[in-house]
Amino acid sequence: MTIRLGAREVSRAFGAVRANSRVTLSVAAGTVHAVVGENGAGKTTLMRILYGLDQPDSGTVVIDSTPVRLRGPADGIARGIGLVQQELAMIRSLSLLENLVLGSEPRKGLRIDWTEARKSADELASTAGVEVPWDCLAADVSVSVRQQVEILRALRRGADVLILDEPTAALAPAQVTELLRLLRGLRDAGRTVVFISHKLDEVLAVADVITVLRHGEVVDTRPATGFSRDELVTSVVGEHVGSGEFPSSAEIGDPVLAVDDLAGISLTVHSGEIVGIAGVAGNGQEELVERIVGLRPAPGRISLSGKDISGFSVARRRAAGLGYVSGDRHTEGLALDASLTDNTIAGTHRTLGNFGWLSPARVRSQVERILTGYSVRHGKTSAPVRTLSGGNQQRLIIGRELDRKPPLLVAAGPTRGVDVLGESYIHTRLRELRDHGSGILLVSEQLDELLSLSDRVIVLHRGEVAGEVPGGPESRAAVGDLMLGRRP
Amino acid sequence: MTEIRLQVKPVLRAVVPFVIALVLGGFVLLATGHNPFDFYQLLVREAFGGTDRIASTLSSATPLLFTGLATAIAFRAGVFNVGVEGGFIMGGLVTATVAAKMPGPLAIPVAMLAGAAAGVAVSAVPGWLKARWNVDEVVTTLMFNFVVTGLTGWLVTSFLQARGVANSATPLIPQPNWLPDLLPPYALTSGVLIGLILTGGYAAWIRLSMLGYELRQTGLNARFAAAQGINTSRVIIVSMLLSGAIAGLGGATHALGIVHRFVDGFSPGYGFTGIAVALIGRNSAIGVVVGAILFGALASAGTTAQLFSDIPLDIVDVLSGTVMIFAVIRLWRQR
Repeated sequence: MTIRLGAREVSRAFGAVRANSRVTLSVAAGTVHAVVGENGAGKTTLMRILYGLDQPDSGTVVIDSTPVRLRGPADGIARGIGLVQQELAMIRSLSLLENLVLGSEPRKGLRIDWTEARKSADELASTAGVEVPWDCLAADVSVSVRQQVEILRALRRGADVLILDEPTAALAPAQVTELLRLLRGLRDAGRTVVFISHKLDEVLAVADVITVLRHGEVVDTRPATGFSRDELVTSVVGEHVGSGEFPSSAEIGDPVLAVDDLAGISLTVHSGEIVGIAGVAGNGQEELVERIVGLRPAPGRISLSGKDISGFSVARRRAAGLGYVSGDRHTEGLALDASLTDNTIAGTHRTLGNFGWLSPARVRSQVERILTGYSVRHGKTSAPVRTLSGGNQQRLIIGRELDRKPPLLVAAGPTRGVDVLGESYIHTRLRELRDHGSGILLVSEQLDELLSLSDRVIVLHRGEVAGEVPGGPESRAAVGDLMLGRRP
Repeated sequence: MTEIRLQVKPVLRAVVPFVIALVLGGFVLLATGHNPFDFYQLLVREAFGGTDRIASTLSSATPLLFTGLATAIAFRAGVFNVGVEGGFIMGGLVTATVAAKMPGPLAIPVAMLAGAAAGVAVSAVPGWLKARWNVDEVVTTLMFNFVVTGLTGWLVTSFLQARGVANSATPLIPQPNWLPDLLPPYALTSGVLIGLILTGGYAAWIRLSMLGYELRQTGLNARFAAAQGINTSRVIIVSMLLSGAIAGLGGATHALGIVHRFVDGFSPGYGFTGIAVALIGRNSAIGVVVGAILFGALASAGTTAQLFSDIPLDIVDVLSGTVMIFAVIRLWRQR
């Protein structure tokens, strides 16, 4: 078998996060090869490497059974590889035909030969079996049509290997069917398709071969016919490999957070309870968190310890007992150029002095208490927080929010980008806070984290509550199903 | 030890663009057949060589101290206020009008407060627009400058024009209402003290007050500030009001201390040089003082230097412009 496109022992790390770890992939010519895995499993990184957008730390890309080094996308394109990215790159104010030929316009003298462009566009479309309204502006057509043009553009540039990154993410069901038909047609015409998705039904419907990535590693590669649906789900979300340590909540008390029809979502968090929010990224978690914290206007009612806080500002919600660990450390959780001190006292600074003036002594003692209490390894407290490692930055945030013992903590991705040790440290502190009687709303993309910490897990799908399951490793398959929009 | 080092850094940062500009200017001078060392020596002598020259430099630095500080306080909050020029002019006109009419010992403080209020009036609307609707403050403050320049220009040729004066000017402020001189007979008024006190107050306030803390965090990362419960809209408005008040006070000081009336062309771009002062001084108090003195020195030495050499005043403008360019370049590198 010739390997049309592949990877040999490819590893790629971003800081402490290993996106790909010794990944080996072999895509045979004339097949549809699906790469599946959870968010953050390393699919997109692998595709960027295969296309030449990113370079591996070690290992090589293989094209036509030969190891090659791709220095940039131009190298990939020259070898017949085309990438259709998650974010479609189109100029919205140009027509579809203009977008199609952009960068490689057929010329007649100095002018663009539009007759020729139109002819080749129609030919392309008919071989692919689609109809494209070429004269419409890109802004005026659906994502589905733009995606088809994007695929045709790659074909027009001579690509016979197409990499599609989450192509169905923004498509309606009927459009998905059409796309899958288009992909099968391309395969039957002898082209090769690499299809990245976490929607397992589509994958099973279209792929010839499936490779499963988890935590940056290949855990399985089989012909699609060799997978049952359940086997594939298990393979994607993984067996629970934890130590079995799963202390659930000791004492569940009164509700601390009650969210009533907040843009369609209702949920309750009790004191002494961790409620997990699961879902594929972009299914409404971010909006939910911002609405609860007060950073986004919210239709519906939110109450904190029985008090209606719907109309409250962020400051008043915090004063009423809300703590917030942002999922976006660099732009929301910290001011990277501000000092450790300034970052540590943010939100509580109004309590550290009198008559509008900060008391340097009280500021210093609070900063010392938090940095020491949460084992933040640091130099001078006047240094910018940027100088801390990612894990220590996150400890500082956790310390800042937990130090007040807030009755309700909203924690979004509290261990994102944190190494294993830091992760278990943060988990321990979150459990402590819960046992102390606080309620925690935990939003995370890491299923292991959610299942091992949460007393209950609520799954969001397309901005709505898809279902609720008890925490614990045995709920893994159920959560996996709900995340993909299927009833278990 | 650390305290001293903290003070040295902003001074160095302010001085470096000047050094670069002087070196580049040196090549310009060489190319036009002048000896740069002779000219720079002359400049330094004219700027700092003697009590009278230092007094003159400080006098030229005074309006820049106000406009630089006004700009810095807005920049620190992340608001790119370029409307200090307008506040300065408006403050000058209002103060000159009040001080010309009002007798008694309270005339000076009342006229200055009126000037500050006039500055606030100019900056309030752009501040509110920015805070409420996120309207780009560069556009609104720049446009307000035109409105203010036009409005004051019209007022001094109509209602407020002094009788029997041919050019566009308000009546002369009676001498008891002038700001007292610090070092008679030299033309250095107590306005420089007001500027320095304000700058010192700013240094303490921005570092030690809760609102100052909120202002710094909003400027560094507004999203972070909002997520920690800081009311960033309020911070933006406060910074613009303070900026306007200081700009207005600058105009008031200039009217009461130097010009003793309001004339068309009251400010030769003090507000805009203030932007350069704030950039060079990295919005720090000490940096603003150093920046204002350096630009003041260039302005005051440049005027007299041309009396003693055949080098045109324009070369000094070239130097100022070069300094501003390097101040801005360093700003972008930092971001």
